[in-house]
Amino acid sequence: MSMFLKSLKELPPFGVAVGMRLDETDSGPGIVVLLDGDPNIGSQDFGGSFHNGVILATIDNAAGWCIRDHADYREGIAMATLDLRVDFLSYAALSETLRIRACCEGIDRDLAFVRASAEIVSTGQLVALGQATFMMGTSPGPHASVAQKPA
Amino acid sequence: MNEIDNIRRQRLLDEITKTPYFELLGVQIEAFEDAPILSAMGADHLIGNINLPALHGGVLGSLLECAASMMLLDKNPQGVTPRLVNIDVDYLRTGRPVKTYASASLVRQGRRVASVKAQLWQEARDRPIAIARVQFLLDRTGRTDANHG
Repeated sequence: MSMFLKSLKELPPFGVAVGMRLDETDSGPGIVVLLDGDPNIGSQDFGGSFHNGVILATIDNAAGWCIRDHADYREGIAMATLDLRVDFLSYAALSETLRIRACCEGIDRDLAFVRASAEIVSTGQLVALGQATFMMGTSPGPHASVAQKPA
Repeated sequence: MNEIDNIRRQRLLDEITKTPYFELLGVQIEAFEDAPILSAMGADHLIGNINLPALHGGVLGSLLECAASMMLLDKNPQGVTPRLVNIDVDYLRTGRPVKTYASASLVRQGRRVASVKAQLWQEARDRPIAIARVQFLLDRTGRTDANHG
């Protein structure tokens, strides 16, 4: 797994903006992204809780990363989210840190399927559940480096 | 803009101001039709793929959720913020880092649950870049609305 971590650690600008960070100490399954509470990503619900949108965004990000971490993923293949569903089970106070775990349950040359969960680190309370489908082999874009283009 | 739209605008502005995450997204109130039209600029910090470049899928999902909750607030001015139950987003086109519009419509509002459709578009409204089905739990006392009871 560790061989993939270097490329995984390249956070997109929005990941930086909301403070996502990969948990490199996690042993699986899948990958874990940690998200610390911060007023910038909050809503006023219950006096300040993680906004549901930022939980969705982190699940989306973690989902993409866990595909790149999957044994059957071919390095350099570009992908795009096809759909994403998130159930919101409870609120999480901004004083907490969320652990978002995403596992790629199936992958072929066209599609990848992901299940994800978000829980409060200190209590283990489940906050959200997600499932996502990704299209594989999409255009890497005009600005992709040589290393990121499909072989 | 007429007086009623000004009142509607102020109500939504208040909600944006007290929701820091909406300010991070740069949510603006664009216009009012039956439902509010919101927008966000394709700011650099909202990008999820720097190679395309494209807006982060989570940004698009967040804008859809924002449009859905703001539409409910606009229709139910006396109510408390409804609780988001779930959201199901279909990504239809690449979200380029340009100005993006968001709106939502009520499919059905019952006594406890509201079902909402939301959509995002950029250069043309008939070419949505993402759509979502969004479900909300309304406050337990139930909420009545003359137009959508």
